[in-house]
Formats: sequence, C-alpha cells, structure tokens
Amino acid sequence: MSDVDSMMYGTTLSTESMKVIAESIGVANLPDEAAKDLAEDVSYRIKQILQDAIKFMHHGRRSRLTTHDVDHALKAKNVEPTYGFFAKEHIPFRFASGGGRELHFTEEKEFDLTELVSTAGAQSWPKLPLDTNLRTHWLCIDGIQPTIPENPPPVSKEVQKLESTDPISSKNSNPNLGKPGHKSHKLRNVETVHVKQLATHELSVEQQLYYKEITEACVGADEGRRVEAYQSLSADPGLHEMLARMCTFIAEGVKINVVQNNLAILIYLMRMVKALLDNPSLYLEKYLHELIPSIVTCIVSKSLCSRPEMDNHWALRDFASRLMAQICKNFNTTTNNIQTRITRLFSHALININQANLNSLYGAIHGLCELGPDVIKALVIPKIRVISDRIEVCFEGVNSSSIDRNAAGHIKTLLIKSVAPILKTIRSAPDVVEEYEQEFGYIGPALCTAVSKNRTTPAAPIPSASSSTISTFYSTSATAATSTTSSSTASTTNASTASAASAASAASAASAASTASTASTASTASTASTSATTTSDNSASSGTETSSRHKSNGGWYAQCRKHPIEATTASNCNAKFTRAVHGIHGCRFGSIE
Amino acid sequence: MEKDKSTMIAMLQLLRKYNFKETSELFKKEANIDESEIAELKPSSTEVESVLSAYKDDSEPTRYDKAYTELQKFVESSLDIYKHEMGTILYPVLVHMYLEMVYQNHAEEAQSLLAKHSRGIEDYYQTELNQLSQITKREHLAENELANTFKTQQFNRRISRDTLSILKRFLGEEKPNNHLLMKIVSAHVNFDIYEGVARNKNQIEATAGSLIGEASRTDNKAKVYYGLLKEQDVGPVTIATEDEDEEVGTDGDYRPKKKKTKKDNIFSKKTKSDPNAPSSTRMPLPNLRDIDKIEKRKAMKEALKRVTLGPDSLPSICFYTLMNSVNTAICAEVSEDSSLLSVGFSDSTIKVWSLVPQKLKKMKDAEQLADVLCESDDVLVRMMDDKTAETVRTLYGHSGPTYSLSFSPDKSILLSSSEDGTVRLWSLHTWTCLVCYKGHIFPVWSVKFSPHGYYFATGSHDKTARLWATDSHQPLRVFAGHHADVDVVQFHPNSNYIASGSSDNTVRLWDCTTGGQVRLMTGHKNSIYALTFSMDGRVLASAGCDGRVLLHDLAQGHLIAALSSHTAGVYSLTFSRDGNLLVSGSLDCSIKVWDYIKLYDELNVEDANVSHNPDVKTCTDTYLLRSYGTKSTPVLTTHFSRRNLMLAIGKFDANLS
Repeated sequence: MSDVDSMMYGTTLSTESMKVIAESIGVANLPDEAAKDLAEDVSYRIKQILQDAIKFMHHGRRSRLTTHDVDHALKAKNVEPTYGFFAKEHIPFRFASGGGRELHFTEEKEFDLTELVSTAGAQSWPKLPLDTNLRTHWLCIDGIQPTIPENPPPVSKEVQKLESTDPISSKNSNPNLGKPGHKSHKLRNVETVHVKQLATHELSVEQQLYYKEITEACVGADEGRRVEAYQSLSADPGLHEMLARMCTFIAEGVKINVVQNNLAILIYLMRMVKALLDNPSLYLEKYLHELIPSIVTCIVSKSLCSRPEMDNHWALRDFASRLMAQICKNFNTTTNNIQTRITRLFSHALININQANLNSLYGAIHGLCELGPDVIKALVIPKIRVISDRIEVCFEGVNSSSIDRNAAGHIKTLLIKSVAPILKTIRSAPDVVEEYEQEFGYIGPALCTAVSKNRTTPAAPIPSASSSTISTFYSTSATAATSTTSSSTASTTNASTASAASAASAASAASAASTASTASTASTASTASTSATTTSDNSASSGTETSSRHKSNGGWYAQCRKHPIEATTASNCNAKFTRAVHGIHGCRFGSIE
Repeated sequence: MEKDKSTMIAMLQLLRKYNFKETSELFKKEANIDESEIAELKPSSTEVESVLSAYKDDSEPTRYDKAYTELQKFVESSLDIYKHEMGTILYPVLVHMYLEMVYQNHAEEAQSLLAKHSRGIEDYYQTELNQLSQITKREHLAENELANTFKTQQFNRRISRDTLSILKRFLGEEKPNNHLLMKIVSAHVNFDIYEGVARNKNQIEATAGSLIGEASRTDNKAKVYYGLLKEQDVGPVTIATEDEDEEVGTDGDYRPKKKKTKKDNIFSKKTKSDPNAPSSTRMPLPNLRDIDKIEKRKAMKEALKRVTLGPDSLPSICFYTLMNSVNTAICAEVSEDSSLLSVGFSDSTIKVWSLVPQKLKKMKDAEQLADVLCESDDVLVRMMDDKTAETVRTLYGHSGPTYSLSFSPDKSILLSSSEDGTVRLWSLHTWTCLVCYKGHIFPVWSVKFSPHGYYFATGSHDKTARLWATDSHQPLRVFAGHHADVDVVQFHPNSNYIASGSSDNTVRLWDCTTGGQVRLMTGHKNSIYALTFSMDGRVLASAGCDGRVLLHDLAQGHLIAALSSHTAGVYSLTFSRDGNLLVSGSLDCSIKVWDYIKLYDELNVEDANVSHNPDVKTCTDTYLLRSYGTKSTPVLTTHFSRRNLMLAIGKFDANLS
C-alpha cells in the first residue's frame, strides 16, 4: 500500500538533478536550499504540463502520449515549445557516472548535411511514409459479423482456451447479450419446461468450399497450392468453427494412410497439424484426443512407407516427434498431464526392446529425446545398453537384412546426436573408451568420441541438429510426392492387384480391431477403431500402448468422436475404407474401382 | 506584508488585553509598529479571534488529521441508512483540509494526510486527488485552476433532512477539532436539503463524480422546450412505389400511395403541435431555400425506404478503415446524407472523401461561369468543372491539429476547429477556406453546425462554449460556467439549445436565446467526449473517458440510465434514424448497440419529480444488444444513413494486434 501511495503522492525530482542542470547552464554551486525549492517547483510544473498534454492526447483519440502533445501543452501555457523533437518511439537515455555523480543524457548523433543532401534519392534515402488511404468492409451484415480477415476472429484464443480449460466460466458469461432480459422475464413462470435446442454447427457455403479447397490442396499433387494452403491454415483467424472437421480429417487420413503405407500423405497431414498449431488464433486443446493418436502413430508405427529401404520415413518420425514435443509444451496442464502420459507411452516401448520393431524403437527414442534433457537423462540413458545390444545383433548378425541394418544405423546416429550433449554434463572428463564400452556396450566407443568432440566444440546442441533435418524433411516430402504419383499410376494400370492389396491390409486392420474390442468390453466401437489402425501394423509395444491408453483413460480419450468407420465386420469395414480413401484422395485414387 | 502586520497588531492587542505590559512594549519595538498604525488598523475583537485560531492551526497541522479521522469514524459508525449520504462530505472535507494545510506551508503533513486517507475516498475521485497532490506550495495555489475551482465553488451535495440534522449534531458537539470541521463544511459545502429517506449507495454514486458535486434543485428548475419544431413546409413528397428512379416533384402525381400508413408514422410528430416544443419564432432560423427544399424532399423519400431497427433487426455496419494514419487521424465526420466523409489530421490538414460514385468537383472559374446558362435546370451541375473530379480532396489552412469537423446541412460548407484557436469555414464548391473565426484563444475542441444551418457552436480549452453565426466574425453568445475545458458541444434538434460536455465531468444545457444555463447534469466520472440528442429531443446521451454511456432526461435533468460496458474512452454516440437504437463507438476497438427503445419504454416519465432522482437503470446486460469488435481499429465516428445503414470510421493501429 505504502509503495503505491508514495508513488502517487509527493514525488519530486532530486536536488541532485537540479544542480546538474544548473551546472549545464553555467550556474555553479547552486545552494541546497535553492535546489530543493527549484526541484519542487519544477516537478509541479512538469506535472501540470503533462496533465495538459494528456488532455491533448485524449482529444487526438490516442492512448499513447506523443511529443507533439507536450509541445501543444507548452504552447497553451505560453511556453515556447521545444522544436525539432521528433522521437517516434522512446528516447534512449544513456547513463554515465563518475566523480560520485550519476547522469542520464540523450545521445545526439551529428549528421553531415551535405552528405545527407547528396544521397537524396539514393538507396539509403529514408522511405517516405505511406499515404493515408481508406478501406471499406462489412463489420456486420444484419447484425451478424462475417468472418473475413478484416474482422477480428469470432472467438479469441483466450476465450477458446478458457472454454476448453474452464467450461464453467463460459457458462456464466452469456454469449448472447441482451438475452438475460428475456430470461428474467421467463423465470416468473417456472412451470414451463424449456427444451434446450440441439446445438447445430452449421458451416456456411463459403466455409464448406474453403474446407474442400484446403483439404484438397493439402493432400493434392500441386506443391505450390499446398504451401498456400498451409499458410492459410497457419494464419487465417476465422478457422475456429471448422477446427473440429479439420482435426477429424487429419485423424481419419492418418488412420487410412498408415494402413496404405502412404508416406507422402502422412507427411502432408502432419504438416497440416503443424500449421494449425502455429495459427495464433486457434487453441487446439479440445481436439487433442484426435490429434495425439494420429501423431503418435506417425512416430512409432512399424511401417510408414511401402519401400522402407528407399523412402525416408525417418524424417516423418522426426517431424512428428517435434510436433508432439510442441504440443506437450503448449498444452501441458496439471489436469491433463499430457507430458507425463506421452512420456510414459514412449518409455513403455523401451521395456521389451529385444522383440520391438526397430522402426518403432527409433520413433519412441526420438519422441523421448524431443521432450527435453531431463527425459533423456531419466529414461533414455539407462536403456542405452540394451538398445546397443539390439543394434549389435542387427549389424553383426548373420541373417539381418539391409533394412534392419539401415534402421540400426539411424538409431545409432540418433542416440549419439541427442545423448552426447547430455552425457557431457553428467559425466566428467576424461572420456575413456573402455568405460563407455563397458557401460553402453556396442555404441560405447562412438558415444565416447561424440562426447569428447562435444566437449571441445561447445555449440551445436539438439535444436540446431533438428533444424537441419527440417529442410531434409520438406525435400523428402516433395520427392515422396512424386513417388506416390508414380505408384498411383502404377496402381491404375494394375488396378485389380492394388485394390486387392488394400483390401487385404484393411481386412487385417479390421480383424485386429475386432480382437481389440473383444478383449476390452468396456471400450466403445469408436475407440477400438482408433486403435485398429494403430495396432494394424503390429507396432509391438508402443502401438498397443496407444490403444490401451485409449481404453484405460475414459476421461480424456473416450470423448473420441464417433468415427464413420466402425469396426464391425471385415468386409463392411473394407468397403468403407475404400470409400473414405476416395473421399480423401479424390481423383488420384478414383481409378481404383 | 499587510496581512503579517495585521497579525502582529492582533498579537499586540492580545498582549495588552492580558496586561503583559513589558512584553508588549518589547514586541512593539521589535516588530516596528507605531501607535498610529495600531489605531489605524484596529482590528475588531472577532478578527483577533480568527487570527488567533489561524495561528493556532498553524502550530498544529496534526489537528487536521485528527479531525478527519474523527469525522471518518463518525461516518463509519452512523446508521447504515445515513452512512452513504454522510460519507459524501468526506471528499470535499479532505480536499479543503489539504488545500488549507498547503496554504499554511505544511506541504509534507498535507501529503501524508492525503496518502493516508485517499484510499477511503471513492475511486472516481482519485484522479482529482492525484492532481491536487501536485500542489505543494502556496504560490501554486493561486494559479492552479483546480484549486481555484474548489476555492471559489461550493461543493454541492444533496442531502436528506434527517442526515443533515445528524451531521449538524455531530459537528456541533463540543470537541476540540469540531470547530475546524465546522469551518470547512460551512464554508465549502453547500447542502441541498430534500425531504424523504436518505439515498442509498448506488443512488449517490450515479450522480456523483463531478468537480463541483451534484446539481442542486435550482439548477434544473427552468423550463426546457425539448420538443421538436414544426417542420417548415417543403411541399408534397412524392412517394415512389414502383419506379425507384422517379424524379422528385417533377410530375403532378402527388397522391400518397400504399405507404400512407408508414408515412404517417414517420411524419406524425411534425404535423401535431407538441406542447413541449418552442415556438418557431423563439429562435430566428433561416428560411429554406429552393435547394434545401429539394434536399428535404429527397431525405423524406429516402426515409420512407428506411429499415426499422430493433433487437430483432439489427443494423448492417459498413466500416471505413483509415490506414497508415494511426497517429495522425484525429476526427472524422460524415455528412447528413452520407455522401461525404471528412477526416481531420494532426498535421493540420483536412481530407474529404466522396463515399458515393459522384466525384468531388470544383466550381468553374469566373470567366467560365459567365458562360453557364442561369435558366437551365441543371445549373448547379453545369457550374462544376468536370475536369477537376477527384475522390479525395485535401484542405490546407490550419496551423495545428484539427480536432473537430462539421458539415452544414446542405453540405456546401465544412467547419473545422483546431489547436490554433481558430474555426475555419470551407466551401465545398470552391474547396477553399472562406472565413476564419477567431474568438477562442485556446485550442477549440469541438465545433457543431446547427441542424437548421446558419448557426454553429464551439467548445474550447478556455472553458467556454460559444454560439456563432456564419455571417458574423464575433460570437453571438458566450456560455461561461464550466470549470474546465469544454470538450464537446452539440445542438439540440430544435436549434434552441446547446449541450456542452466538459472536463469538470458535468454536462450543461444552454439556452441560445438567453445565453443562460438551463440544465446541469452530473454523473460522469471523467471528461465527456460525446453528446447526442435522441430523435424526439427529450433525452440527451453523453459518454466520455470513463467508458460509460449516460442518458439524461431533459424534462427535469435527471439521470435515467448509466450503461457501462466499454473499457476505453467513448468518442462517438449516435441514435439510429428511427430512434430505436443507440450506438457507441470507442477506442477499445468496439461498437456497441444499445436497445434504447426498450429503455425508454420502461422509463416511467410521470414518476419523475423535481426533488428526487428516479432509479437509474444500470443493468447493462439488459440493454446491450450486441457488441462488434473491430480488428485493432479504434472507432472515431459512427453514423446512420437515411435508410438506417450504419457507417463507422476507425483508424487501424498495427501496434494493437
């Protein structure tokens, strides 16, 4: 209290300042008494002038005081205004001290006028300010505010956040202002029963068109249009109403394309998620139940592409892991515990390492590594020994395939890249190769060299490494796109085999789903179908972990929307799959039938 | 020095009175007073007393603190029903205690008194207290406007008889400090006594907040003719039902057609004679010219096509955003027929845009004008030079920021007021400045044309509002009475009255014919920046820096509603053309639509009497129909077109997003 009051009342300039100012105009040795008197008077005058300046600010319909306001206030008080004083932003005070005195002053640069004149019209010549112009738009039409870029987003991010984290608060504040009057009137006849209307979430024709355009562009063949679509998704303020449908589109798309091993589409979908995450006017927390399983699928799925020896599905896993980390960072609260749950999910994948699929293993490790140094320290480093044993088998084993060897190589580089900076901090130099080998097994020596290298070159921690992969990621997605087009043309010529293949994979997915649903009777059909696609690739422990998450966690995940695909029978499911595929891929897959 | 001398003489008298002979001689010698002076300046015994009491106060600045604490305790401990009314005297007492202490050179004690007790004072007084706290020296007192206002003006308080008698009993008690309190209260607080129960907290707060307290009963006694004038006959209006492009008054078909009922609705007021309307000769008004009649007929024709707005049929808003001018655009004004938009800038320029496809043309030169046939029907069109057509024109002339603009009803003239203390009249035919009115010496904050043309009103930093006629270089009336800047002026629809809003937080209504103040309305807690009259002329809406919209009934000057929803200053208030909605635009980047007709219907006009303010409607939720946010664009002006389409003008502020 006293703090605020002392700020408000009786603040004056210091006598010290008075003396300094007096000195600057040639009055040496100003007596203390005079300085005090002056300080009081000057403070009073300054406050008066500022008070008047605020008046000018208010009349200028501004909320920021400018130097002109002060000038006008001075003029109104018959004081000569200070001319040539045009600081647009703040005035940078410089500070100097010496001789037991502290001084603030403004730095003034000297300009050479001849030089300034000679550069007139040249490149360095300052730009002229833009001229005032007038733009017109509809703020509202018959009382309804259209969602156009000129208008603010209908539901601000804060409100969205409040809605999803604290639903009660939004109930209290009535969105339809003006209605309470009717309500109080109605309260008098309590007997009347009010049936609450079902909430309809209608999209306008424009929004439907936009949705169609955007989704087609996102998964279509034209890279230029796709970039535009992502840009729109990450910047458009009016997407709030369509968000639910976008998320469903992504979730469905991931489910189907994981089964189809369609890497390019998966990458596009993940980039869509990224764009939505980046949109400053959206708050995704309500839709995480759809997005997280999709992203996790893209991280740990056993197979994401049709030719694992050639396609760079690693980039997708890396990108999805980073997305996951971003979600954890943005949306983790004490009530939803996303970070904890995701961490547990990934670490479960590391329990049974020897049976685990190498691709899933890579995904799980990468997912953990993205979650930060503490996670690496607690969960990854203790497992290195076991992992390196597994890798050793792949590298040295007689009957290991080239695919396995490739995967093992990726895991090795990943481990070295992300663990070395952490090891550096927890282990003290010198780094002895034998110690490392003893502790970490097969990859010990490599780790050792990485750590010691890290010690000598201090920079290059994890983020810079990941940024380089981003560029490779986008380039991969482009090449993958071309490969998909070629494969789709192949499937046109060989239609019957292609559809047969897709039918087979879908059937296996559905059967897996049905076993899952029979296993846990409590789970709904929709959750089972969510798990269906995840389990279909038999992505060992982590995949099943995802599904068990769904089942055990009634609160959050069970809010899953009813999916159009219900895992009832294999054939039925197959048909619907094909239809859904058509829905998403439109013309490109239209020729399959 | 004179005063000191008299003090000393008083001292001498005292010494003599108590027979301190030696001391008195010594004192006389030391103070250098001779006998003749004593005889000359012989103060009366009462004066001696007062000097002594002043002397005594001098020695004990802590007495003020004690006295105030006692008063505060008394207020706290009094019965709930009197408590709030009693509490209203705390603020003036604190203010005057502070001023007296500063006068006696006890600035530090005064500061600590203020710091200690300001928290107990209502929030809306804090700005003033803060401003007061800047005064720390006796010399500042004399020149400080705020202090002068407090000194010269009694703080007006409405108080019930019961409360006052209790208060008087307390002040009359024989306590050491009560004398001090009594002195302040009797000198600086004016009680306007009324019979009946004491008011509650909300009732008091509704009208509190101004620099000089509340309006007293006598302030609002004069009769105000708030009714509308009988419209001058403009000739029959053709009602185009089928043919939209039918020319007004060209054919002989004057039969009112299908829309007769609607027509009656709109024009009924004008045909009946309103008992509250002033006689048409009360204020001399210019006669309508032919061109005005044509314009009037056009307006009426348009009015027939207008949409009736209400809670179920909300308006459409067309928003004009000014780009690249957040720090320069100051004010905007749309002409009555919504064809022109003018914007005033801080670099002294004025820009005029045409909002319709017709471009802005300049009148031809004198030589070329001689060639124009005067008899032709379209002489006005022929006078204009087609080669000069532009969509935007700039007017140069002022030497300071332009704070306010106003179009004449026939939109041939634009008035602008500026920081340079002048009002300029611009012709929109030649696009030049015709007259420069110099009368105010300080910045002119507001200028407004009379709805009947010819007259205009201004409000200025010099605390006056003035009434002018376009053909006179001197003001016709000077309305003095406000204690701070007159921030906004507005003409009553019948041109007989001018309302002014000021930084002393009051709204006043002035009679143009007599120049006297006929209404004083309080309730705002900060400066007032927007004023508008309802369509029937009975209600005055005001809004300002405190973000609240207040509605006053002009019949008795009562506050009838206080709508608070805006979070920043409100600079624009407009009634829809059918008078059903009130719209407010604010710097908080929003436009809010209020259900005025509902509020008016609920208002029991018979219930109001002079002595008692009726209940103030503060239920914002009930009357707020909709709030439209703009995208980082503070709203400068709102306007309704003749067909009830809403136009709003704002300046885009990239720093806000």
